[in-house]
Parts: sequence; C-alpha cells; structure tokens
Amino acid sequence: MTTRRFIFTIAAIGVATAGLVSARQAAPPQPSSKAVVMKGRAPVSTELLKIKLPRPAEADLPNGLHVMVLEDRRVPQVTFQLLIPGAGGYYDPADMSGVASVTAAMMREGTPSLSTLQISEKLESLASAVTVGTGTASIDATLSGSSLTENFDATFGLAADVLMNPTFPDAELTRYKERTRAGLIQQRTNPGFLASEMFSRVVYGNHPASRISITAPVLDKLARTMLVDLHRDRYVPDNAVLAIAGDISMSEARKVIDAKLAAWKKRGTAAPMVEDPPAIGPGKIYFVARPNSVQTNFIVGTQGINRTAPDYDIVSVMNQVLGGGPTGRLFIILREEKGYTYGAYSNFSATRFRGNWSASTEVRTDVTEPAFRDLMIQIARMRDEAVPEKEFQDKKRGMVASFALSLESPQAVLQNHITRWLYKLPADYWDRYPERVAAVTQAQVQEAARKYLSLGRLQIIAVGDPKIGDTLKQFGTVETYDTEGKIVGK
Amino acid sequence: MRRWIRLCLPVGLCAVATAITLSAAAGKITFTDTKLKNGLRVIISEDHSAPVYSIAVTYNVGSRDERKGRTGFAHLFEHMMFKGSEQVGPGEHFTLVFNNGGNMNGTTNQERTLYFETLPSNQLDLGLFLEADRMWSLEITKENLDNQRNAVQEERRLGVDNQPYGKTFEAIDELAYENFAYEHSVIGSLEDLNAASIDDVKSFFKTYYAPNNAVLTIVGDVKAAECLEKVRKYFERIPSQPAPAAMDFNEPPQKAEKRHTLTDTLARLPRIDIVWHTPPALAPDDDALTVLAAILGSGRSSRFYENLVRQQTLTSGVSASSTGNRGPGLFRVGATALPGKAIADLEKGIYAEIEKMKTGTIEAWELEKARNNWKRNMAANLGSSLQRAISLGRYALFWNDPNLINTYADRIVAVKPADIQRVAKQYFVETNRTVVITMPKSAAGDSETGGRQ
Repeated sequence: MTTRRFIFTIAAIGVATAGLVSARQAAPPQPSSKAVVMKGRAPVSTELLKIKLPRPAEADLPNGLHVMVLEDRRVPQVTFQLLIPGAGGYYDPADMSGVASVTAAMMREGTPSLSTLQISEKLESLASAVTVGTGTASIDATLSGSSLTENFDATFGLAADVLMNPTFPDAELTRYKERTRAGLIQQRTNPGFLASEMFSRVVYGNHPASRISITAPVLDKLARTMLVDLHRDRYVPDNAVLAIAGDISMSEARKVIDAKLAAWKKRGTAAPMVEDPPAIGPGKIYFVARPNSVQTNFIVGTQGINRTAPDYDIVSVMNQVLGGGPTGRLFIILREEKGYTYGAYSNFSATRFRGNWSASTEVRTDVTEPAFRDLMIQIARMRDEAVPEKEFQDKKRGMVASFALSLESPQAVLQNHITRWLYKLPADYWDRYPERVAAVTQAQVQEAARKYLSLGRLQIIAVGDPKIGDTLKQFGTVETYDTEGKIVGK
Repeated sequence: MRRWIRLCLPVGLCAVATAITLSAAAGKITFTDTKLKNGLRVIISEDHSAPVYSIAVTYNVGSRDERKGRTGFAHLFEHMMFKGSEQVGPGEHFTLVFNNGGNMNGTTNQERTLYFETLPSNQLDLGLFLEADRMWSLEITKENLDNQRNAVQEERRLGVDNQPYGKTFEAIDELAYENFAYEHSVIGSLEDLNAASIDDVKSFFKTYYAPNNAVLTIVGDVKAAECLEKVRKYFERIPSQPAPAAMDFNEPPQKAEKRHTLTDTLARLPRIDIVWHTPPALAPDDDALTVLAAILGSGRSSRFYENLVRQQTLTSGVSASSTGNRGPGLFRVGATALPGKAIADLEKGIYAEIEKMKTGTIEAWELEKARNNWKRNMAANLGSSLQRAISLGRYALFWNDPNLINTYADRIVAVKPADIQRVAKQYFVETNRTVVITMPKSAAGDSETGGRQ
C-alpha cells in the first residue's frame, strides 16, 4: 500500500447561502497562518526561466480534419488523440442521457473483421492502447491511443477500424449493460460521487452539464440501433482535430493518416452549437444523509465562466490563491493549521459553455461545523480583502514558473495547443501566458471574487452522517436527500 | 528537433539564449553512482531535453520497521519532514517548491519512505538545500505533531474508514502474514497514532534518517560533475549513524488455507480477495510470476477478463498482481461480484483460470504482451525525470543495482512457458492461500440485495 501525502486530483465541484453571514461574524478572518513560517534562508534563484512552448506542425485535410503533430524523438513512442465535437454526451436527448458514452465505449467491441477479443489481443500484445470515450456532459467524444514507434502503423490502423466500422454486437451490449449496472450500484457507495452528483444537479439545473452518470432506466431502454444511428450521424471528420505527439514527423504521420482514414469522408456537418446553463437560483444547503459516514464531504461552489471569458486569467489567479494546491489558503488553514482534513482545494472548469467554480474538502464528522465556518471565511476573505502583495506575487510566479515542468511531456504541451485550437485562441496564446498572468492585479482578483463568489450565489453540498443535518440548519435552509438522490426532507 | 529556452532576469533582461539538442535516439540510461564519506549514495542521470530536474530521496525505512503499539509511525513521520528543520520553517519546504514552479510530495510504504521534488533546472540549489537540511536536523514541536496526527487520521478516514472495502484491504494482510512487520497496515491504527510522542519522532529520526540509510537520486537538466559538487556541499556534513538493528522479516511457511468473511456497512456488492505467499520481487521465480500476472489480469485480452468478465459475466473486473516487495511477497487477486452473482462461483472461476496456468498452453502472443508491456515501462523511464529518479533510487536501495533500470526487461523476455507452469504449480496451492470475503451489510443490519455468498 502506498500512502500519499497530498491528493491533487480532487474533482471540481462546489456552493453557499444566506445563513452564512453568521459564519463570517462568528470568527473574524485571520490575515495569515502560523502553519507556515518562512525563515528565508534557502537559496532561491530569482531568475525566471522563460519558456517558449514548442509548436506542433499543423495541417487541414480535405475531409475537414485538422491535424497537429508535435515531433519529439526523446522517447520511442507515439500518442494520439482524436477529438470529435458533437459526438459527446452533451447532445444526448434529456431522457436518454448516456447514449453517447455507451456508443463510445462500445466502439471497441467489434468490427466486421475483428471480434472484441481479437481487438484486445492485437492491441495488448503490442502494448498499444486505443480507447474511445465521452462524458455525459462532454461536447466531444475522444478516441485516444498510444504505441511504441514501431507499432504506430498497426495501432493507428486498428484505431481507424474502430472509428469507422464498429458493429456494436448485441451480445456485447447485453454484457456491457450488466457490468454497468454494477457500476451504478458501486458509485453510490462513494461519498465523493454523491457530492459531485448533487453539485452538478444544483448548479446546472436541466442543462446537459447537470448529468454526471448514465442511469438504470436509460440502460434499460438502450437498443443497438441507437448506437448505430449516433455513430453514423455524429462521428464525422468535419469539425474534428487529430493531435499526435512523439517519435514521428508530420510527413510520416500523414502517410499513415491518409492511408488509414481515406474512407472517412466529409459530411457537411456544421460545427455543433452549445448553450450556457440557465442562471442559478439563490444559494441553499443540500445535504445527502449517508449512514455510517465518519467524515463530512463539502462542496461549495457556483457557476463560473466560459473558457474564452476576458477574465479567465484573473479567475485562474484567484483560484490559485484560495485553493490551488498545498500552498492555497484552504489547505494551509483547514489542514496545516486546524488539522480538520487531509486536503482542501478549490477548482474551476471553463469550456464553451459556462463552467463552474468550487471548493471542496472532507472533514471528520465532529468538526463539521468549525471546518465549514473556516471554509466560508476563506471564501469571504477573497471578496473582502486585497491579497497581500507578497502572497500575490508568489502565487503568480509559481503559476508561470511551473510551465517549465510541462516541457517534459510532449502530450502536455500538445494539450495546450489543442485547447488553443478548440477555443480559437490566438496563435501566440501560450507564448504570452506569462505576461498575461503577470499583468493580473490584486484589485482585479478581488473584483472577480465579489462577482463570482458572492454569498448569494454559492451553493453548499454536504454528504455525511444523518446527524449532521441539524448542525447544518443553523446556516440556512437545508434540503435533505438520501443516497439514491431522493429528497427526504426540507 | 530543438527547443529554445531563454533565461530571463526579473528586471526583464532576456539575453542569454541556450540551444538544447534532444538526444537523437532513446536507449540505455546512463548515470553516475557515488558514495559520499558519510555513506550517502548519490546517483545522477543527465537529461537535457527539458529545463527541469527531479530529486528523489529514498530512505531505507517503512512500516515494516515499526514496532507494536506504534503502527502508522513511519508515515506519520513522513508528514513531520515537512514541518521544519534548522534552516527551513514549518511549511516553508512545500511553499518554496510550489512558489518556484515546482512539484513535490512524500510517500511511504512497507519498505521505504520516499521524498521527491521536480523543479525548473535553475533551482538546483533550492532542492538540494531543502532535502539536505531536513536530513541534517528536524525541529518538531508538540503542536506540529498534533496537527499532522490529525491530518493523517483524516487521511485514514478518507481512504479507509469512509470507503467501501477500506477495511478489507487491511484484513487481507493481517490474515495472510504472521510476521508483524508486514502484517499491519502502512496507515496504522487511530489508537497507535494517538500514542506517538515527540520522543518517538526524535529517536526515529536519529536511527533511520541518516545519510548511510538513504539513496539520493538526481535526474534531468544538470551537469553531473557540477551537481555532485553541490551535493557534497549540502550533504557531506551530515554525520552517518550506526546501522539500524537488523529485523527479522521472515515469514513462516503457511500450512493450511486461511479464510475470513467480514461485513461492510458501506459496501453494496460482495467482494473476494485471494492472496498467495510468494518470494520477494526480483527473486528468481518472481519474473515468471510477473508474466503470469500479466497473462491473467492485464487488460481486456487477459484470461480473467475474457472468461470471468466477458463470457461468464460474474464480475466487472478481476485484478491480478505479483509482488513489489523486497521482503516476503503476496500474489494478489481481487474481484467484486456483479449483482445477483454468487461469490462462490466467482471464486471457483478464479481457481479454474489458475489451474489452466499449471498445465494448459501459454500462447506466444501472451508472452509477447508481457514483454512489450515492459518495453513501454522502460520508455516511460526515459520520458519522465521523476519516474527515472524514483526507479533508480528503488533499484539501488532494494537490490544494490541501479542498472536494473536497463536490464530488468531482459529478465521478462527470458521467461519461458515452462517457467510459468512451474511457478503456478509451486505457489498456487490451497495451503498457501488466504481468502477474504466482504459481504455488504446495511445500516439496519440485514444483508442488502445484490449479492449471494
């Protein structure tokens, strides 16, 4: 068993309410924490490595497919990622949410020439991987793969077969449904899932982004023809991007792509549209009573911004100060100073539609109340106080300097370029990242906190032992749910 | 391909331009291997493909070194290593690393405690200074200890007590092992964590956090000779200590099957875990067991997936793994039953696949798969300075052979079908196995729907 000190991959979620004003009054904000003492004796280089991200070669194919190749000969392997906008779960009908994810998952289950087992044997004996997937709220479906350089041709050939010719065998669909049903039962045992599910529901209402999992009734209704239709209509090259990184050049890649994807023809499909979620209602407390819990999981958050919003970098800095990793205020106060939790972070997501911002932590049941007060105090400090100069400059320097670390991974570099392409950002977007972060001011961060983290907008999710329901009532109106997501009390 | 990296002064003078040429072909990993006067082993591997370096400090201490009444201490101690030393204040270590663009963490298992950082390459002094200062001295207060005791107890609640099957994973090792060293969990018990004192911290530090009980690995955009000089500057003053008293890690041979059923109020589906005692990792038989684990459990072409998941739909997945321990190992298999499927059928199905390994044919493609998996693992060591630093440190500390990073895959290639059949017959016998079954139990006390035993 391995025990890690920090967990960095906390799912993005979050929320708060009217009664929270009292939390603010109960304990005045503390300007700094004794949990971190800087002796200032360590040798730190004041130089900042200025990084220029390598750029991929790019090409547009006649079928509409945009191709990016980031050549990096260091490691004898090639990775690829094909993003198909419009094939994601975002476009599922409201009563059939999850069809797109099942379609994607089932594409590897057979082609006219290969059974599911043959596909797995061929790939895995080469230590190659090909997977297709999409989320229940995703705009895109993604086919991704990787292989040793020597096996790229064979691996991409299999990926192309899976992409263009899936047969969706009925017998495999039946098996897939049975396995998925078990997954639906299992996920309800996980307090993190229950919190995320409630948060998405509360923050997005009926918008597609409210969906985080397929449901049993949809599984029951699901038929092979739905997968066939979805695949035929949505897996089109017109708006897609294929990004390849590693031990390969554009011309080498093009030979393989042109040969294997020759039959993937343009369909005249327009770029898929998206809508922002409806404005969110006033903040409230949503409590999921989970018997036998020994911790309370909190998510506090709200709707956020679009990826192309002009204040994207400002919100990034704001989030970094409040809850970005172990140097964020949430971690320093809730864990390092108070010892309430193993971790406390904030997070935000931004896409073509309005995303969300959230803070989350898991605390032992008997400190539910003080931990929640401290969480809300730290959010309030972002609105009420300018970030002190030293803390502000430290955070911004860390954000810029950490860019050097991404140069180790061609996939990480390419991911930035995919973002640039998806959101139609300027060609020099990443080159200018350091200067944009440097230009963010304390006043802008405070303004953003007042705008996005205002008390009335924050929704609060708590998952924990049924007895903490009473504790939560002092902070505002509480709606109580069971672990199946059914409301049991107001 | 070339990358251009400019070194910029804070005033904005961007003048120095450095061209970095990537090594043309990936191949053997080279490194230097030096022992300082105080016994610290220093391994340095240059890689100039990105302006980044990683440090790994692997201490020869883990939960297997804990005594009764102090379970979880090695890991709690790991947390204390971030709470201050002579020149570095509490929390200053990680604050400096992150504020300068780096990443870091610490991790503890049965056999070692590992600390690591990745930083931009102009911060080489910073990383070395931070690691050296806390090897030299710790400044711990009761308040800091209580604070991290709380954090660790929340870590336990998060990962074990508030999760389905959390206690199952502890129960397996407790039942399978007789020797206390490996029998107890790394995270430890809440009671033992409460008992840990400042004196425990001090004596643990003196005994185990000595330069002669650690390996320091540095990988990335550094010059080996220059880097070694800096290492000497920061680390060589730290005095060596008497070697810790030798412990008995031997596990007596198991004579009969051990079996236990436990109930779990957080789980909703029954689960089975089966382990067999095996030799340590890298012992002669371990290579065949590692290939065997890949054939049984790696990916959707594996025998467990094809037969138990896809054909018989008894479970949504079966895991199989050989040991990573340098001490007595366990080969582990685990699976959760699908709703309405009997755990007994799942257990029978697992044994049926294992019996086939003893006498049936092993296909050429199955061996090829195991070999290629390791080829790709080797490639990953090339691409990540951190992974390379961790691998070199582990190979050096556990087996005194950092060059295993280059040679290990050859051992996997050498495994023959007859080797696999032989180890299957030798280790996968009823008297050598331990079985733990977890049954869901609702809060009200009655067994939930969804599974039959």
